[in-house]
Amino acid sequence: MSLQDIILKLQEFWAHNGCYVASGYDNEVGAGTMTPDTFFRVLGSKPWRVAYWQPSRRPDDGRYAQNPNRVQKHNQFQVILKPVPVDGQVLYLRSLQYIGVDTHSHDIKFDEDNWASPSLGAWGVGWQVMCDGLEITQFTYFQQAGGIELNPNSLEITYGIERLAAFLDGKDTIYNLEWGNQVTYSQLRTEEEKQFSIYNFEYADIEFLRNIYEEYQKEATRLAAADLYLPAFDYVLKCSHTFNILDARKAISVAERNAFMATMRNLAGEIAQKYVQATEEGENQ
Amino acid sequence: MSDFLFELGVEEVPVSEIKPILNQLKQKFQYKFKEHLVGFNKIESAATNKRFMIYISKINKKANDKEEQIKGPAKRIAYDENNQPTIPLQKFMEFNQVEPGELSEMETPKGIYMVVNKKTEGLPTYDILRHIIPETLKELSFAKTMLWNASRIPFVRPIKSMLALFDNKIVPFEFAGVHSSNSTMGHLLLSDEPLEVNSFRDYCELLDKNFVIFREEERKEKILREIKEIEEENQFRVEMENRMFEDFLYNNEYPVVFCGSFAKKYLDLPSEIISTFMVKEKKLLPVYDKDKKLLNQFVGVSNIPDEGQNVVRGNERVIRATFEDAKFFWDNDRRDDFSALGEQLKNVMFHKDLGNYFEKTMRLLSLVNLLLKETNLEKLSEPLGEAAIHCKNDLVTRMVREFPSLQGIMGGLYLREKGEKEDTWKSVYGHYEPKGFNDVPLEHVGAGILSMADKIDNIAAFISKGIKISSSKDPYGIRRDANAIIKIIIDFKLNFNLDEAIQAAATEFADNVKTLNDTLEQVKELFLSRIENIFKDFLKIRYDVVNAVLNRDDLRVYNLYLRAMDVSKIVETDSIDDLTTLHKRLKNIIKNSEPFDISEGALVEKEEKVLFEVYKESDAKIEKLISNYEYLESCSIILEMKPLIDNFFDNVLVMAEDRKLRENRIALVQLLDKMLSKIADFSLIVERA
Repeated sequence: MSLQDIILKLQEFWAHNGCYVASGYDNEVGAGTMTPDTFFRVLGSKPWRVAYWQPSRRPDDGRYAQNPNRVQKHNQFQVILKPVPVDGQVLYLRSLQYIGVDTHSHDIKFDEDNWASPSLGAWGVGWQVMCDGLEITQFTYFQQAGGIELNPNSLEITYGIERLAAFLDGKDTIYNLEWGNQVTYSQLRTEEEKQFSIYNFEYADIEFLRNIYEEYQKEATRLAAADLYLPAFDYVLKCSHTFNILDARKAISVAERNAFMATMRNLAGEIAQKYVQATEEGENQ
Repeated sequence: MSDFLFELGVEEVPVSEIKPILNQLKQKFQYKFKEHLVGFNKIESAATNKRFMIYISKINKKANDKEEQIKGPAKRIAYDENNQPTIPLQKFMEFNQVEPGELSEMETPKGIYMVVNKKTEGLPTYDILRHIIPETLKELSFAKTMLWNASRIPFVRPIKSMLALFDNKIVPFEFAGVHSSNSTMGHLLLSDEPLEVNSFRDYCELLDKNFVIFREEERKEKILREIKEIEEENQFRVEMENRMFEDFLYNNEYPVVFCGSFAKKYLDLPSEIISTFMVKEKKLLPVYDKDKKLLNQFVGVSNIPDEGQNVVRGNERVIRATFEDAKFFWDNDRRDDFSALGEQLKNVMFHKDLGNYFEKTMRLLSLVNLLLKETNLEKLSEPLGEAAIHCKNDLVTRMVREFPSLQGIMGGLYLREKGEKEDTWKSVYGHYEPKGFNDVPLEHVGAGILSMADKIDNIAAFISKGIKISSSKDPYGIRRDANAIIKIIIDFKLNFNLDEAIQAAATEFADNVKTLNDTLEQVKELFLSRIENIFKDFLKIRYDVVNAVLNRDDLRVYNLYLRAMDVSKIVETDSIDDLTTLHKRLKNIIKNSEPFDISEGALVEKEEKVLFEVYKESDAKIEKLISNYEYLESCSIILEMKPLIDNFFDNVLVMAEDRKLRENRIALVQLLDKMLSKIADFSLIVERA
């Protein structure tokens, strides 16, 4: 099954199960969790079910297109179910069957792996789902976002699409996968992975990045103060991505890392508060 | 007789939580049955990561009747002059719902009191269970909890089902938004529908049919048997870690052992990296041939039978990608000049109040030099100086950032790759070892020295910052560090006094003399208590021997160890009685005296003159013997002297009228006491029964 078939099938499956099918966010994010469709919507009391395909960037994971399944930009399929359904695990296993996983002949395990995003003040309890030793999904019960305790809780299911495809196709490397209609993953991605690995690890201009990090942070602070929490959040995301490149470039010391994390966490917390105030009080969604 | 089956069905619980939860369930049920006077015969418990089962058999159908005597008002105020109940008595009867005829009297030291003998009939066990099950669940404690539904009840993981049958009938109750029932789930992947259970026999049969081996010992037996079969078939040996075994045991309701392989080219990676990546990253076990050489195969445990070889093939692909990752880190890190990474350590905090790792390596350098001098190992000072300076560089490598457990090991390997001397890289490689007293000994003495320096620095650093340790609290593991130091000293027979090193380490962190002295005192205290603990608990040395040997001002650890071992031998012989008697006698005489100097000219009697002559000779001999750790031989010399000493006591009055004579004789006894104490304070040895 091609990558595009998996995405289509997952969209179909979750649409049948009450989800609104969204597009991925048009900003660099490290994970599907970091988009407004998750970060904001898990806050507050209103039910929410969304599914979307989200390209995600992790500069540090780049491997110059040399590793069979690690890349600096990968594709996630993100599902948020709020409140938590009683049969989340069963639904998830059914979604695997729907895309063609024979769940009776593969070793699928829910392996303890609590998720946390210190820069977003978010954490959850859950598992990485392993299939014959390959991590294919993160399955998390959200407990907190933007430093706010969630009520109701949300279930987040994040599929790693490349890994699922490699698994379904029995391919040794994701570069041999078919994206769809004879277009290969290698064709689409090899050059990109090489160039971005060189950029992230060797070529990124540290001083430039430090400067724009600061500018982004200032802008986010200014916008948050003006109650423009949506654009403010965009700038937190830009901070986060800039930080990730600096980190991959080994330009950040341990002590500094904590300071960076703290500023992003505080901003995210403030933005989350603003969102909750605006939506819960004004009922203006 | 009745029986009770309870099963709590959950989403996958972390392995570390499973045993504590099961124990709590078992204990709480036992306790509550007793508390409610419900008799039972046997309790069985079992768990996987998805279910906790309690089965209690031969239970009484109802609780025992309860008879109790309830005390009311004193008789003298219970009735008025017309012999009618007063208000206090009326209220008492009302409260206990009794008629005047049911009252009786009880004599007490304070007079006669009105009492009611009340008999409460035991409730049906079934009704009691309805209450105690949810109560028990509510009382469970966990390392970490979560919220998931509208009940907002924190629990370890979401509850899926609660099977509760008393005499095969559902015990109805609700907890955390879930209702009890007679159904459970089979295997996550191999069983689809909920299973309806009507008895314990049903439960066992249905789970068996639905690929759930719910008893730990059966799963354990299956895993071990299958590993053995694979070992025999492939002629290799699987290296099993305890923690991994727990993981296999609880995370697989139907464990199946499988074996796979990977391309030989990955064996070019250091074997430490291969096994760490396998175990920590992929939960696969490395295998070795009979010469302990790592092979390009692995063993794992699946939760389903692998007839189609899907699991093996999948894991083989995964392990390849993992090794590619390892290779990426290994290749990339080696591109940097490892020795130059020290500069970056200035950005890595050791602890927020204790500076960075660069500063720490500078301290280690001077501690290492001091320890080498103290242990007469100065010949190692050049390679070990290199090791001290570079031992923390690996903290900024990709490999260690990704796998902190490889710290030290990676530093050693990167230095080896750079062509550093064996004494240097091996010292760095092992300097986080040993992890405690029971760990395997280090092989290289340099690693031992660097490890001691690192740990003494840790201990002095954290104690100087006011970190307190107690039996339950030791946040930085300094007790384990002290144990490791003692182990290194014993393993490498390092005869030196720890005092100097402690002084040097503590001085680095002291702001003034007072804090320095406080730190020194606490560090010494820590070592003394660790030595005592290790001698008694690990080396199984008799407590009185430990007391006889330990001395508050003596941190010559190796010396203490040898003395303790030798005195342990002596106390098993008959000579110990003589030594104990003798030493007690000496102590007894001098117990209230201040120290005096002996003056040879003032010795008058023949017995004391002879004794002093022999003492001088013997003491010189003992000094020499002790410098070669020959404590047993030293004891024989004392025993040889014993008749002379006895003779002295029998014929010479120590407590003479004449002050000068008296003080001189006491001085002689003090010398004898000092000589014996070089070996041990034998007066503290407890007489044998």
